[in-house]
Amino acid sequence: MVIDMLVHPLLYGDIYKPGDGPEGFAFWEREYGMGHMGPMDWEEIEVELNAGDVQLSALMPIDATTASGGCFATNEQIAQIVAAHPDRFIGFASVDPHCPDAAEKLERAFRDLGARGLSLHPAKQGFAPDDPLAEPLYELCETYNRPVVFHAGMSWEPKAPLAQSHPLAFERTIMDHPNVRFSLTHFGWPWVRETVAMLLKYPNCYADTSITYLDSPEEMMSRLFTVDMGEHWFERSFSHQVMFASNTPRFRAFKLKRALDAVPMPDDVRELLYSGNALRFLNGEE
Amino acid sequence: MVTLKELSYLSTEPDQFIDITEDVHAAVESSGVTDGLAAVILSHTTCGIVVNEGLPCVEKDLGAALDRIAPLDAPYAHAHFLPSYGATGNNSQGHIKSMITGNSCFFPVKDGKLVCGGAQNIYLAEFDGPQRRRIYVEVLGE
Repeated sequence: MVIDMLVHPLLYGDIYKPGDGPEGFAFWEREYGMGHMGPMDWEEIEVELNAGDVQLSALMPIDATTASGGCFATNEQIAQIVAAHPDRFIGFASVDPHCPDAAEKLERAFRDLGARGLSLHPAKQGFAPDDPLAEPLYELCETYNRPVVFHAGMSWEPKAPLAQSHPLAFERTIMDHPNVRFSLTHFGWPWVRETVAMLLKYPNCYADTSITYLDSPEEMMSRLFTVDMGEHWFERSFSHQVMFASNTPRFRAFKLKRALDAVPMPDDVRELLYSGNALRFLNGEE
Repeated sequence: MVTLKELSYLSTEPDQFIDITEDVHAAVESSGVTDGLAAVILSHTTCGIVVNEGLPCVEKDLGAALDRIAPLDAPYAHAHFLPSYGATGNNSQGHIKSMITGNSCFFPVKDGKLVCGGAQNIYLAEFDGPQRRRIYVEVLGE
């Protein structure tokens, strides 16, 4: 089984709305930074998932109301997709820490919409991870035993400064909340070794594999696991902290899976990478 | 007289031969054209139209030959992030195989039927699936 821990469902036909309004596709194209791609129906989505043996995908919204004037999928849209296909999707929630009712909205998403965690993109949303504005959100995550996905490292979204997504920008927050599980997406790329240091130092810190901004998936995954990292670092030192993730629609999950299948690693560690670590991240230690 | 029919297919594998012979015959026979020419044309650049014998072993050999020409691990220039898409390309294999197979085929139409040999199956050849693909069957004649 494969769990894809980073999917932005912006091409999902079920939530497609034309136009440039706060939930419109043209708004998403401009503010999320994508083009030449159109909505997909469920049949297309399903065969794409099946091609990569992806049984479960975590859908990530981003609430950029203050910074950009809208959301890259709302919590309600995420819940709508999950309700239609509960065997294939789980949903996260996102809130804008600048909004006075952010904590209230998050609690409602956890309680009423079934959100399995919190998705935050500080660089795009325009706040520092350790800004006191966000503290109530982390506290809610601890109370509800929900993890936080931090969009970290290079992300293609416009108006998301790289300096604000450096892995070390998240250190204070991760250090101060040892009972909350945090993920740094894209392995914090290009700061892979800084992310490694975070994984080593903080057992509540996770990372994911969604980093094909250069080269082919095969070249990029080989480089991540054998060049940017020593070839045994993952299996020896943080085998419980890295999760499979594609960053769909920027990358196709089945191609990333094919690339990872070619990276040498023990079978038990591969199982952790493909699904075991995601379950641990989502649920906590059993 | 000119008629145009759109056919739609959803491939389920990255590489796949989908036999569309019967659908093309049916499109021609329902066109109302008795004598003329039928064109089968794709609207994509990473799949192809192939006319060949409809045997699994032939399909396997065709696929293997195309893989030798355009292998997965070749250092393609197209293997990079595309800013205008906000996504990676990484499908040069599909583009090259599509160029080799071509994106169309043509057959005569006589007495309201497609004229083709008994071993001539028509395939949509997928090289960058899974994807939904559109094919146009245009029939020109009288």
